[in-house]
Amino acid sequence: MKKLMILTLTLAALAFAATAFAHSPLCDCFDNGDGTVTCEGGFSDGSSATGVKMYVKDGAGKVLQEGAMNADSEYNFKKPEGSYSVFFDAGEGHQVTVNGSDIVE
Amino acid sequence: MSSQTLLVALAGQPNCGKSTVFNMLTGARQHVANYPGVTVEKKVGHFRTDSRRVELVDLPGTYSLSSYSLEERVARDFILHDRPDVIVDVMDASNLKRNLYLALQLLEMEATVVLDLNMMDVAERRGISVDHAGLSKHLGVPVVPTVGKAGVGGKDLKRILDEEAEKPNKASYKIDYGTMEPFIQKMQDQVVSAMQLPETYPHRWVALKLLENDAEVLRLATEDPKSSETLTRDIEQLRKDFQEETGTPAERHIAFARHRSCAAICRDYMKLPEQKRASLSDRADKFVCNRFFGPLLLIAILFVLYEVSIVFGGWLAVKVWPVWGAVEAFAAKVLPQAGFLEDPLLRGLGVWVVKSTTAILNYLPIFFLLFALIAILEDSGYMPRMAFILDRLFRRFGLHGQSTLPLILGGVYVGGCAIPGVMATKAIPDERARLATILIVPMMNCLAKVPLYLILIGAYFPEHGGLAMFFIATVTLFMALPVAKTLSLTVLGKRESAPFIMEMPPYHLPTVTGVLRRAFERIWLFLKKIVTVVVAVAVVIFVLINFPGLSEKREASYQAQQEAVVGKFMKVVDKTSYKGELLPADVPEIVLFADRLKNAKRGLTDKSAAAAVNKSFEQANPIYYAVVKRKGADGKKLNKAFKKVVKTRKKLRREMRAERFESSFLGVLGRALEPVTKYAGFNWRINIALLSAFAAKENSAATLGSIYGIDGSGSVQESMKAGETGFTALHALALMLFMALYPPCVPTSIMVRMQSGSNKWMLFSILYQTLLGLGVAVLVFSGGKMLGLSGLQAMWGFYGLCVAATVIMALIPDRSAQKADIGKTCKQNC
Repeated sequence: MKKLMILTLTLAALAFAATAFAHSPLCDCFDNGDGTVTCEGGFSDGSSATGVKMYVKDGAGKVLQEGAMNADSEYNFKKPEGSYSVFFDAGEGHQVTVNGSDIVE
Repeated sequence: MSSQTLLVALAGQPNCGKSTVFNMLTGARQHVANYPGVTVEKKVGHFRTDSRRVELVDLPGTYSLSSYSLEERVARDFILHDRPDVIVDVMDASNLKRNLYLALQLLEMEATVVLDLNMMDVAERRGISVDHAGLSKHLGVPVVPTVGKAGVGGKDLKRILDEEAEKPNKASYKIDYGTMEPFIQKMQDQVVSAMQLPETYPHRWVALKLLENDAEVLRLATEDPKSSETLTRDIEQLRKDFQEETGTPAERHIAFARHRSCAAICRDYMKLPEQKRASLSDRADKFVCNRFFGPLLLIAILFVLYEVSIVFGGWLAVKVWPVWGAVEAFAAKVLPQAGFLEDPLLRGLGVWVVKSTTAILNYLPIFFLLFALIAILEDSGYMPRMAFILDRLFRRFGLHGQSTLPLILGGVYVGGCAIPGVMATKAIPDERARLATILIVPMMNCLAKVPLYLILIGAYFPEHGGLAMFFIATVTLFMALPVAKTLSLTVLGKRESAPFIMEMPPYHLPTVTGVLRRAFERIWLFLKKIVTVVVAVAVVIFVLINFPGLSEKREASYQAQQEAVVGKFMKVVDKTSYKGELLPADVPEIVLFADRLKNAKRGLTDKSAAAAVNKSFEQANPIYYAVVKRKGADGKKLNKAFKKVVKTRKKLRREMRAERFESSFLGVLGRALEPVTKYAGFNWRINIALLSAFAAKENSAATLGSIYGIDGSGSVQESMKAGETGFTALHALALMLFMALYPPCVPTSIMVRMQSGSNKWMLFSILYQTLLGLGVAVLVFSGGKMLGLSGLQAMWGFYGLCVAATVIMALIPDRSAQKADIGKTCKQNC
């Protein structure tokens, strides 16, 4: 029984630390050429990323805009001046950062 | 004896390096099936010697050849019925005495035997030398020293096989059974000669087996009803006479005589190092199997296993994804073009199947790391030690020390996958514990259950998120253990639980090639098994969730909405210079053109490459390009209208999909189940989400999302909360528990079928988990409601119940009479 206790406690500790990887997060961004950018989110198993929090940050990491993936699993935002990055945040272990300079027209 | 194909069987005790010899001989050319009717795996490979083709069959690793365990029976039956031309007995040269025990029994079966003295390197390192020429002369069979791990001696072995095939050399070695010899002779004369034996059965061996009271051979003796009675009487009489004369039961005398022969041979042909120090393995075991350090080390190793395979593997999976993404893109390109609202059937099905497959292929890096790490644990010799440390605990629940790994892979704490978990049960030598493990692995918290937990916890237990996660992460084990015990006391009660010897092989340093070979071998098997199955299952699910389809009236309504949005776009066209050039029929084409352009640029980060893609599309169709990329004043105007078209198309397609799903076979089933599931707090919407989760657990969260028709405004949690008024934390708790116990997803079910070797067990596993899940959900929901408990109270009440059940179950003794001997024979240096 003592062993069972030890086992449970260890598992508990691990459960707290456990990060959940159900599937790989995906986020592709496209420059629309009209001063806006559209990001498409999703997961490797085909599930939609609807509702996933999205952040647009400047070069220093300051959040400029935030929102969420819409029902089409897309997020539109106004392209900021200067360098920026897009942060797709579906929870720990499910995050993607896309560098603004990698988003081409 | 055929001069063309030689049938060779590979025998050997566990941990003698049999599989390394198998790989050394066959390379990667092998396939795995089960022996007919049983769950024992049969590995077959092919190779060529100088003059022949050889079919090599790997027999299960067994210590002996009684008919006591399934493995032993399988090995023995193969030797007796398939009559291999040659049997190669792989022996651990550093554990000669123990290994000889099997070798002598093979010789007694009068088979053509070649002894493979394997692991010569380990023996040398330990200062053991074996006079293999003398041994060969004494036993009258060839003896070949090898180091399978390093591929040394393979050529010699092949040459010997060729020679043996030329001049069949039946073994004639006889163990001297001393005072029993006259009884053996009598048994042969009185009984064996009167039996209707297949000609492949050696008479002396049969006589010995009858004296040993071997159940299988005894059955042969009593097959003929005419002579059955006399023969049984004669056998009993001889056994009784022997015991009276010598004071020892016959079976014990036989075993002792064999052990004595082994010891005598070792004395004559093996030299031990002068100074008999505790070997390095023994010294290491002082720590590894220590009461205190043992579990600590085990936890550390499991933690590393988890970090590397799941966390690092997850990261790697993201890096590898573009490959699978490209496969999807390629499929999308070659399949018939998409329509505006509805896609051609072939496309819909094709995309669905490819998507289902890539969803699983995505896990490949995780599995590869997992398989490689397991191979390291196996090759290093740690695995049996791990089993030893946990065996005492798991035995209480009808499981086995080696159930540890399957449970961990399945996600004993949050984050695993039942597929490799069920696959890993193969290593469990005890039939009953193996089935019990197969049946509870799917109850663990696999990765795919997590999104649903997160949604429900986020929505209904926001203040107690950590506690709720702890609850669901650990309660599963407390549900699984009592269930395992119950199963092994009831449905599995009659299954064999062979007394087993847990033996600690010396530690080996795993080789890179050995580990990689095994990892690739398993990955390949996994791919072949799973991917083919997934394709078949995906087709079935596709039909279930898409048919019978929308009514004509609904179709017409969607059609009208499409025409409306196209009409709006055309109005804008009329105001531009493209009037007359762009027709309504062009609109779907532009949509597809835009999609193609987007896909062509997916993943591009280089400006000039992107520009090149743009240019080629512009050349292909300048007008479409202008609309999609806002070229010129007209392009800008049209682009705005075009975006509305795209958005409407997406919305319509989404609505149609949801509607089709709700009216599909699966959707109808969800409604039909509502009268039953309402006691668990599930309405038809949740039923549908749960049913779709059977295809793959991930679906549940996505389906809930699509059912609750979320728009960009909020998260799934919020819209679910808003969409389901009256849905309480108690509902959420019941749903979470149901999900935890939910039947294995389709790929796992297939794996259960493969590992248990029967459809019956697969169906049982699906059925009992569904019923159990439903029962628990009803208990928690209806019970909690009756007692007026809050979600949190019900949660901890249930937790207490599970822990109590676990403790009680642990204390119930196993009714099955023969309690397994946990004989820990640490390696004997002969």
